[in-house]
Amino acid sequence: MNNSNMTHGINYKALGRKRESLSLEKETICIQVKELNLYYGEKQALTNVNLSIPEKRVSAFIGPSGCGKSTLLRCFNRMNDLVDTCRIDGDIIINAQNILDRNVDVAELRRRVGMVFQKPNPFPKSVYENVAYGLRLQGMKNRRSLDEIVEKSLRSAALWDEVKDRLHDNALGLSGGQQQRLVIARAIAIEPEILLLDEPASALDPISTLKIEELINELKNQYTIVIVTHNMQQAARVSDYTAFMYIGELVEFGDTDKIFTNPRKKQTEDYITGRYG
Amino acid sequence: MDNRGQHISQQFDAELEKIRNQVLSMGGLVEEQIRNAIRSLTDNDAPLAEEVIKNDVKVNNAEVTIDEECSHIIARRQPAASDLRLVVAVIKTITDLERIGDQAERIARMAIRLSEMERPKNQYSELKTIGNHVASMFHDTLDAFARMDPEAAVEVAKEDLKVDTEYDGIMRQTLTFMMEDPRSITRMLDVMWTARAIERIGDHSKNICEYIIYLVKGKDVRHTSLEKMEKEALR
Amino acid sequence: MRKTLKTWFDSGTPWIWLNAGAVSLSLIMVFGLLIMIAVRGMSHFWPAQVLEFDYTIASKFSQRIAGEINDTVEVSLENLRNSGIELGKEIQQNSQWVTRHLIKTGNRDVLGSDFRWVLAPYMSNEHFPQDIIVLERSEWGNLYGYLKAIKQNGQIVSENSSAWTDLSPRLDRVKNIQEQIRDIEKHKIGEINYELEQLRLKKRGLELDKNNEPEILSQIKSSEDTFKQQFGVLQSELAKLYQGINRDKLVVEIMDGKHIEIPFAKIVRAYKPNDMSFIQRIGVYLSRAWEFVSDDPREANTEGGIFPAIFGTVMMVIIMSILVTPFGVVTAVYMHEYAKQGPVIRTIRIAVNNLAGVPSIVYGIFGLGFFVYFLGGNIDQLFFPEALPAPTFGTPGILWSSLTLAILTVPVVIVATEEGLSRIPRAIREGSLALGATKAETLWRTVLPMATPAMMTGLILAVARAAGEVAPLMLVGVVKLAPSLPLDGNFPFLHLERKFMHLGFHIYDVGFQSPNVEAARPLVYATALLLVIIIVILNLAAIWIRNNLREKYKAVEN
Repeated sequence: MNNSNMTHGINYKALGRKRESLSLEKETICIQVKELNLYYGEKQALTNVNLSIPEKRVSAFIGPSGCGKSTLLRCFNRMNDLVDTCRIDGDIIINAQNILDRNVDVAELRRRVGMVFQKPNPFPKSVYENVAYGLRLQGMKNRRSLDEIVEKSLRSAALWDEVKDRLHDNALGLSGGQQQRLVIARAIAIEPEILLLDEPASALDPISTLKIEELINELKNQYTIVIVTHNMQQAARVSDYTAFMYIGELVEFGDTDKIFTNPRKKQTEDYITGRYG
Repeated sequence: MDNRGQHISQQFDAELEKIRNQVLSMGGLVEEQIRNAIRSLTDNDAPLAEEVIKNDVKVNNAEVTIDEECSHIIARRQPAASDLRLVVAVIKTITDLERIGDQAERIARMAIRLSEMERPKNQYSELKTIGNHVASMFHDTLDAFARMDPEAAVEVAKEDLKVDTEYDGIMRQTLTFMMEDPRSITRMLDVMWTARAIERIGDHSKNICEYIIYLVKGKDVRHTSLEKMEKEALR
Repeated sequence: MRKTLKTWFDSGTPWIWLNAGAVSLSLIMVFGLLIMIAVRGMSHFWPAQVLEFDYTIASKFSQRIAGEINDTVEVSLENLRNSGIELGKEIQQNSQWVTRHLIKTGNRDVLGSDFRWVLAPYMSNEHFPQDIIVLERSEWGNLYGYLKAIKQNGQIVSENSSAWTDLSPRLDRVKNIQEQIRDIEKHKIGEINYELEQLRLKKRGLELDKNNEPEILSQIKSSEDTFKQQFGVLQSELAKLYQGINRDKLVVEIMDGKHIEIPFAKIVRAYKPNDMSFIQRIGVYLSRAWEFVSDDPREANTEGGIFPAIFGTVMMVIIMSILVTPFGVVTAVYMHEYAKQGPVIRTIRIAVNNLAGVPSIVYGIFGLGFFVYFLGGNIDQLFFPEALPAPTFGTPGILWSSLTLAILTVPVVIVATEEGLSRIPRAIREGSLALGATKAETLWRTVLPMATPAMMTGLILAVARAAGEVAPLMLVGVVKLAPSLPLDGNFPFLHLERKFMHLGFHIYDVGFQSPNVEAARPLVYATALLLVIIIVILNLAAIWIRNNLREKYKAVEN
């Protein structure tokens, strides 16, 4: 920064500069969804979804209940495979690979695409074992490197200071917010590229919610984050891009600032201003 | 507002409607102030001018009240999109309204001073013209606000150019008078101040029009050319 | 009034009372049952006072009787008259009822039975003689009488009062020798017999294989000889011990004045029931109770202990648990996690649930037909041909009993495990899957550990049911008296083919099949009490384990 622009430590140049506006065209695309249709039995849950989720950004999915935002999220790590009646057409491309392909190794995919659920779901094991779970699945046995990664993950999840003295206590003894951060630590311990958050704060109190949001903000430097939320203010606070979905269709996807001040579509406008009914 | 559905929370609807109405009634009050101020000037009506000065307190109070109302809505409702723009526009609009009120007060003070001086034959008809022009421009602004009509707002903004031209005319004329008759300098300065105040009302009205365009179209058209403004408004 | 009655009904108060009443009734029944069993069973070990009296029937003949009052009932005179019992003038003819006592007189070898009924009006001169003694014998039951003398090698060494003080050291000596004899008979000779049997089977096996290498045969022969030699040594040792044990005898005068001689070897315990302090009584009580739970049965199960039955019951339940848990859990996991939910699996589930309602004797017949004759027979043909025609597994045994009960109880385990699996939150499975675990890894690392409390619940129910089953066991392995325990010091230690004793069957046997039902009745209660206690202990252990597990996973369930 040039000294001539500074007086009393105030950067006047920065004051006049417009905020660097985000624009989807400039982003590297991480997840590309093409012509996605999803059916639960006879019922169509997603209709013709086309979407490009940018890398190392936070993208939020909002929309009324049952609009398919969680369903779409669960396509990204093929959690919908667990539903027998679920049928999917279309492509989802991550790293130039169509993950909906029949011969994709789902376990391997899920290692790359981590997921955190609505209710904190730590396993009834110790804090340490929870974080080490994914690593042990991959066959890591070396105690020292396990220790290292566990600590690193807990630090990344802003939980280390709170649990370092009780790593070997049962994780169920933690508070709800701590449990949720533990689950995030567990997800990032296996170093995924993408982190899917399915309403991660809906079961938490406001303070814990803020901590989670702060954490999301820190994590976006390393991970592509996709978050589903019912809480529009939360989407507004944490996300760079917001997608609005309505009855299985993607209505609008764009810069969060734009969506929340001047959305293009009337449906979006009605939803975020609380006129949806 | 009229072309959109109701909020799920009718209370929220009522609150937004309330501040909108408050803005309009504040606008009505201000319009009355402008008209009275100009009438007191042209009709040499000092008591009316006194009343205008006294009534400015009402305008100030209205600003404070609406401001508070807006803070409450932001705190409680976290408005988004058009609601957010409405609240932001209202907060800005009432600031300009209050300023317009101040200008009206200033005109009234000038009217009192001018009433104690010798009056020209034409009874300040040039001030009356520009004053009425600005008053009707302000009226149209309020109209555009009430109807949320960006096209009307652009039309009003265009009017501001004419007001500026008229103002320049008055300035030149006044300067001429001052040079012709140095004894009239004091009086002419007051006339200049008055004309200046009237011209400022026009500027503030134009600001409000810009807010209306922001409010309806979501585009900030401040500090841009009229053409661009028109383009955004009509898009 | 009508109004108030209606409001009373509407308030729900009557239902609360009804519920509370039902609960109280259940509690009273359960505790009543337990208390009755406990009182009847536990009082059996208490050394009762011995009453001596003169008994004169209808002023004609009189005799002296001594014994414990076992029971007292009122009987109607008419009944007595109808059954041909002579009623003397002592009995007030105008009264309707007369008191009758059941006296345990013991001395079965002399009197022919342990008990007799006496009518209270005929009794006179009742008193509790201080120096009457009770001898518990290993044969012929108790003896009541007066100690007269102790004989050593036929010579009287002490008489009357000094005999009592002389009795206890001599008894200790005999007990000591008995211990040695038992050690030799049960363990050393038993071991040699077992080895000899193994050698015989080996020889027979070689014969069947048409393998007669002289080297091996001579080897067998030589080890047979060593064992036989050892056996001879033990035999002579035993003979010596038996001589020592039969050295002492004691002379007792019984009620009719006869003197009888009793070898010390036959005496289990001797005490003076009317000359004991409370502490001494407790000592006798505890010693008898301990004998009951730790000793082998005597006298066709009517005396002595029931240790083999306790051991057999517990062992059978444990083997059953080991068999039923994995089987039930694996089935439940398949049905709940892997099988496609549809009409087929629904039918299977209904069938499994209904299996729990099949009468247990049906399982017994199935076990006999399938396990014992079919499976066991084939196993014998394949693996134990040398022992034929004597069956090894082709006969009822503890393995078949355990398997039969395992089949009987497997529906319970399946249902409970499935219930537990379905209670595990979806979120936990998804959490594991989302970390890149396969379905099997998820099951193995998270789901199954979390379902353990439910499995334990299933096991508790299974154990509770299995421990109380008797009917099927009578067909597939339980016997009245098993010569040896299914677990001992001979390789391979656990003998699954052996028959075993079981508390439930023991109750049935002692209560209904024994020659001396009257004497055995308290034992039935004591055994029943023990069975209840064992089931309670097994259940408590399982419940304790389950609660610990539940504590571990508590927060997840909510």
